[in-house]
Amino acid sequence: MADDKINSYAQAILAVSAAEGNGTQVEDELHRFAQLLEGEDELKTTLSDSSVPAARRQQIVEDLLDGQVTQTTVALISMLVAAGKGTDIKNIAKQVADLAAETRGKAVAEVFSVVELTDDQQSRLATALKSATGKDVEMKVIIDESVMGGLLVQIEDEVIDGTVRTRLKQLREAF
Amino acid sequence: MKKRLIIASTLTGLLLVFGMVGSAAASGESLGKCSVDEYAEKFGAAELTPENISDEESIEAIGEIFDGCIEAPSPIIPEINEVIWGGGAFVVLLALMLWKGFPAVQRIMNERSEKIASDLDEADKAKTDAQAVKSQYEAELADAKSAAAAVIEEARQQAEVLRSDLQARAETEISEMKAQAASDIEAARERAMGDLQSEVADIVVGAAERVVEANLDAEAQARLIDNYINQVGSN
Repeated sequence: MADDKINSYAQAILAVSAAEGNGTQVEDELHRFAQLLEGEDELKTTLSDSSVPAARRQQIVEDLLDGQVTQTTVALISMLVAAGKGTDIKNIAKQVADLAAETRGKAVAEVFSVVELTDDQQSRLATALKSATGKDVEMKVIIDESVMGGLLVQIEDEVIDGTVRTRLKQLREAF
Repeated sequence: MKKRLIIASTLTGLLLVFGMVGSAAASGESLGKCSVDEYAEKFGAAELTPENISDEESIEAIGEIFDGCIEAPSPIIPEINEVIWGGGAFVVLLALMLWKGFPAVQRIMNERSEKIASDLDEADKAKTDAQAVKSQYEAELADAKSAAAAVIEEARQQAEVLRSDLQARAETEISEMKAQAASDIEAARERAMGDLQSEVADIVVGAAERVVEANLDAEAQARLIDNYINQVGSN
């Protein structure tokens, strides 16, 4: 999908969530669903399969998310799946977060970690990132077992890697 | 030349004269006539017939007459008439020879001399030509030998150049093969070292991963995150 289409879908989602008055929550739920989808290949394939009727794909989304997230989020994800954008949910979610953070004068920091960060850790990390980059950031924590330990933060095009995976990789390359 | 011809002709005439005189003295006609004349003079008989020669005395007398007739002519001094005839014949013959023979012989000899001289000239010319041809052949032979020597020398030089080229090429190929072999050996060694390093790295890193995984509990994760935050904040 072209960037302009992703951007259009992201703006539409932001407009709907703003109209419903739960913009930040929808943005966060969409982000979490995108992360869930990246770890579930079978689900991602099913939701992206055009041979599966759109109503069936929407039903799967509703069955999966009903009661777990807001109805606005369910409706928006169902709309994306029905429109055949199952494979672009991750990019759309990121674009939604970027546009929302930009609206608030902040940058989105994607934080890859094995474990969830505590509020204190997130607060200290936001302060440290502002000190390092000069930007106010909104963190989107992504649970990724492959990092093994530590954190990897990506703010726009800048990456700050402090993961055990990368240390072991450097150790392998040192031989 | 002419003088010798005249002397030869004179000697030939004299031989003819004496030959004719000798022949006349030895002929049967002269012996018979002499015998008849001597018989008539000695016995007065008109004819010498067999009837007159019947007794032994007559036979002996006739024998003596024959012996006398046989011994009568001189073998050296001819009869005068024979000298005359012989001299006339000689003169005639000499005249004929001088008139017709000598010019013809002279002409023939001149022609022969000219022919011989011509032949000699031609022989000389042929000899000169032959010598020229021989010289030319010798020069050509020398040129051919020189050319052959040049060809042989050129071939030898080309062979030497070829040999040098082949040797240089062979040496180059050998050097290249040695370099290639050394390069292959080095590449194989580097591959082996790389494989070994990779295997060692796999073993070490694998062991490290297992150790890290075994020790990365919640507390360790929190400590790693705190260290990361502190490191980012200090930059």
